[in-house]
Amino acid sequence: MTVNEVFEIVKKNICLVIPELSTHNFKQDDRLVDLGANSVDRAEIGMLSMEALSLNIPRVELFGIKNIGELAKTLFTKHQAIQKG
Amino acid sequence: MVSAGIEAINIYGGSVFLDVSKLAKYRNLDNARFENLLMKQKSVALPFEDPVTFALNAATPIMESLSAAEKDRIELVITATESGIDFGKSMSTYIHQYLGLNRNCRLFEIKNACYSGIAGFQMCVNFILSQTSPKAKALLVATDINRFLSAEAGEALTDDWSFAEPSTGAGAVAVLIGENPQVFRVDSGACGYYGYEVCDTCRPVPEHEAGDSDLSLLSYLDCCEKAYIEYHKRVPDADYAQSFNYLAFHTPFGGMIKGAHRNMMRKMTKIKPDQYENDFQRRVWPALTYCLRVGNIMGATTLLSIASTIDNAVIDSPKRIGCFSYGSGCCSEFFSGVATPQGQELQKRWNIKGGLDSRYELSMEEYETIRSGSGAVRFGTRNVELNNNLIHSIADFLKGKGMYCLKRINEFHREYEIID
Repeated sequence: MTVNEVFEIVKKNICLVIPELSTHNFKQDDRLVDLGANSVDRAEIGMLSMEALSLNIPRVELFGIKNIGELAKTLFTKHQAIQKG
Repeated sequence: MVSAGIEAINIYGGSVFLDVSKLAKYRNLDNARFENLLMKQKSVALPFEDPVTFALNAATPIMESLSAAEKDRIELVITATESGIDFGKSMSTYIHQYLGLNRNCRLFEIKNACYSGIAGFQMCVNFILSQTSPKAKALLVATDINRFLSAEAGEALTDDWSFAEPSTGAGAVAVLIGENPQVFRVDSGACGYYGYEVCDTCRPVPEHEAGDSDLSLLSYLDCCEKAYIEYHKRVPDADYAQSFNYLAFHTPFGGMIKGAHRNMMRKMTKIKPDQYENDFQRRVWPALTYCLRVGNIMGATTLLSIASTIDNAVIDSPKRIGCFSYGSGCCSEFFSGVATPQGQELQKRWNIKGGLDSRYELSMEEYETIRSGSGAVRFGTRNVELNNNLIHSIADFLKGKGMYCLKRINEFHREYEIID
């Protein structure tokens, strides 16, 4: 698993929660709030991405992330930590 | 073994309300996805109302339905709140006085943000179950208001914090708890609690909230899952999809409960995602009916969801309700109980829906007059004479409704009276 693959997972889940974004050209520094995601949408995107990676960590660990690139990196780091276990 | 639970539950959802979609437009919050947040109306506290008047307005009808002998057996009055009016003196003392209760009674107040109501509820239930005073009753009043006198987003607050204003209401829920729980019989011992330290939302100063709605939402979802897992450990036969005919959750706003429900269905059941919406409509919607009309009343909200479920669900035979409470800071609990057709019938005497239907709808101008703080009593006020004529049309509307109001504060001592 690479960080780019995690970014693809995040993108897929954003589109699942907000289908209107399916044609959007996602960039690393896109902020979910600017893409029109409300707080429930943002939590849902984080959770679905965690589940896709079988990450069983407290959701509050995803707090404070600034953009979707950072979200992918955080998820990737946590995934790696578990793999190394 | 004795059973314990709700003998009567009544809500006071204010005398005036605001249409939240109008507020959202006024504050330029009507982004494309505001609709999904499921916010409809919010009750608003008037300047001469405080958490004690809300509590009295919720509890008085229940007290009037009791015989003198029944009323005399109330040996515990707990107020649950995050809107306290004094660091030392408990609001339960005022409530005890104005309701004319027996002096052989424990009086105190508790807080843990939105969990306070259920913390108080469980204390009352366990007092009954302990049988240290057989046939005694307990009165719990969860009461919370937020005046939003001038909530501005600061550096530490997210942009979304502005959504707290449309979602937050004012209200109280009074619950009589005893050994004859026809309205809601608690499943004794069937509960899972989960808490840890997190600073998601707080009230560091009396009139303002602070916090981060994203962190709070994530913590709520974590707790919902963990509290239910603990419940399941204690009730191994429990099946999230089958055991609970209805679900009553703490409801900061409807959209959040929809998200929480979807998450719990995904994690705890094998139901297909295309069935979640049906399940939500069937099992969760009755709880939201009143919540969407009053707004988030913090410590009282989970109890409001339970009252809403009992009034609005199809209860043609005993039905189990799964309940979840979350309070920032944080502590949470999943527990369950059973509602019956007789209990649903008994609850009709409070006419809760009628009370909500008969509220006065504020214009934005009236709302802003109230919110500007003119006439509102700030924490720590020593002496003041209240005037309930701030807005004439509202003053006329309130006449003869039998509503308690704050009359004056005399050397910190509050005096209440019923509006003629």
